Amino acid sequence: MSTAEIELRNVRKVYYKERLEIPVLEGLDLDVATGDFVVLMGPSGSGKSTLLHLIGGLDTPTSGAVRVGDANLERMNERQLTAWRSRNVGFIFQMYHLVPVLTAAQNVELPLLLFRMSSAERRQRVITALNVVGLADRMDHRPNQLSGGQEQRVAIARAIVTDPRLILADEPTGDLDAKTSEEILGLLNVLNTEFEKTIIMVTHDPRAAAHGKRRLHLDKGALYSDERATVRAVAAASS
Amino acid sequence: MTITYVLMQNLKRNPLRAALTATAFSLPMAVFVAAISLVVLLANVAASAAKELRLGVHQKTSLTNLLPEGMRRKIEALDPQKEHLHAVCGMRWFGGRVPDTQNTLTSLAADADTFPIVYSDVQMTEEETARWLSEKTACVVGFATAEQYGWKPGDRLTLESTVPPYLTLEFKIVKVMQNAERSSVFYFRRDYLEDSLKAAGFDDPRCNIFWIKCKTAEGLRTLQQRIDAAFANSPEETKSEDENAFAANFTQAAGNLPGLMQAMAVVVVFIIALVAGNTMMMSFRERIRELAVFKAIGFQSSRIFAIVLAESTMLALIGALAGVIPASLFLLLVPIRNLRMGPISSFEVSPLAIVVSIAIALLVGLVAGLWPAYQAHRLRTVDALRKVA
Repeated sequence: MSTAEIELRNVRKVYYKERLEIPVLEGLDLDVATGDFVVLMGPSGSGKSTLLHLIGGLDTPTSGAVRVGDANLERMNERQLTAWRSRNVGFIFQMYHLVPVLTAAQNVELPLLLFRMSSAERRQRVITALNVVGLADRMDHRPNQLSGGQEQRVAIARAIVTDPRLILADEPTGDLDAKTSEEILGLLNVLNTEFEKTIIMVTHDPRAAAHGKRRLHLDKGALYSDERATVRAVAAASS
Repeated sequence: MTITYVLMQNLKRNPLRAALTATAFSLPMAVFVAAISLVVLLANVAASAAKELRLGVHQKTSLTNLLPEGMRRKIEALDPQKEHLHAVCGMRWFGGRVPDTQNTLTSLAADADTFPIVYSDVQMTEEETARWLSEKTACVVGFATAEQYGWKPGDRLTLESTVPPYLTLEFKIVKVMQNAERSSVFYFRRDYLEDSLKAAGFDDPRCNIFWIKCKTAEGLRTLQQRIDAAFANSPEETKSEDENAFAANFTQAAGNLPGLMQAMAVVVVFIIALVAGNTMMMSFRERIRELAVFKAIGFQSSRIFAIVLAESTMLALIGALAGVIPASLFLLLVPIRNLRMGPISSFEVSPLAIVVSIAIALLVGLVAGLWPAYQAHRLRTVDALRKVA
């Protein structure tokens, strides 16, 4: 058995549209080590988001195996996958998707409502997560009182508040300006290096991709390049 | 923070829409409280009337056609052993009104000797009965009428009749009746009316109706058949009815009101369900990606179903309370008894009406939320998220 944290073997994913078979991933194999920061790149429709969804247990493969830690995701039903996600995965989306009627702290607290814990413990976790993303002083602000970058920081705090081992980010800087993007990517680097989170990020942006330790290029459902970044490049991106 | 808090905050997302939908619940629920309270009141009155075992005998074609006074003896003779019959009380419409006012009181002249027996539910004390029997001008009056004119036992008053020969008579109150079904009725002695008519040159000791107090429900049915059979094919052919059937004749004269109200209620409930369902569906569509994120971070589909359904139900509950509470306060504070509309004068907001109205609103809220909740339940997270990209 592989020692990789994430292991995909011969994964095939097909969608059907009006009985028409649309293959998205074709016989894909992938290993991701614990603590890695993998960037998925490729043109639109290449299967990046589908791969991310399969690793995050949001979708199941048409055939093949997806193992994350001890969990064989392809064997789980929807209920089991949902419960697994709540404990093991933090999601970051391009459009943040915060609840507009809740404050930053309440948005971060949302995933904790699924766990049995005292309100004091929840509060402490929320404060810690907001401290990590540097927004402790904005905890009572609503999303419409925050900038795009601050909203994405809140979304990151929401992703890490349950202390998941894996963080999946789908175009996390796609809606941000260059300076704010750098701040968010720096934050992801901190989560990866200091908090030892395994991160898989989808992006179109080569500058954003430079922040990862490993870059995977997908095209037409197949992996056609796998580059390991130099230590210097990663260090430069982190600084 | 709790899920309930999240639900409450969600209702503030579009305050105008939430307020309008809540209003769509509140207005019909306010009307329902009044309507159901009225139905409860009428049911109580009917139950009370049924318990009294009274049989009304009047001229078959019309209540306004008078029957001869001697009919009382003939009715009593149909049950000489008093096996079923307790007492017979003849009554005649007086139609009096307080001088210089427009409203005609439900005023009736009743046989003095049998009135306290046939109307034992009036609960006249021995002293009140003695005064009724000894004073020819004695009268008993319902509490709503007494309150309206500020009358109390011992007071003297004058009524002008609105029917020929338009007598003006003086009375002395011996009792204020507390019965809901007799809250605006005025009874006085028929011998006083007869003597007054005679004095005015109208010797006409006839009655509009004879009320018979029966001993058992079975006895009431037996007497009903026996009386109508005895006077069949005579100039005084009768129609005998128990008190509920008699009252129903008046209600049905205005059409099938309860049926009409029921049909309207069903239509209104259906419309509210459509309004609320539309609101919840719009709310669901607006939040489709947000709900997908909820699922992504670990909220089970069943929980999402419950959240959407609870939101709809909560909106319905808030709307219902916003209608039921002000309506109840209004009905408590407004002097309905002054309307002098028979038993309606004793109208009270029924706790049952409040419970039923809120239950209807909750049910409609649940039904309206079912489809959006089902859509949220079956929402595929990846599909909803892909719409974002």
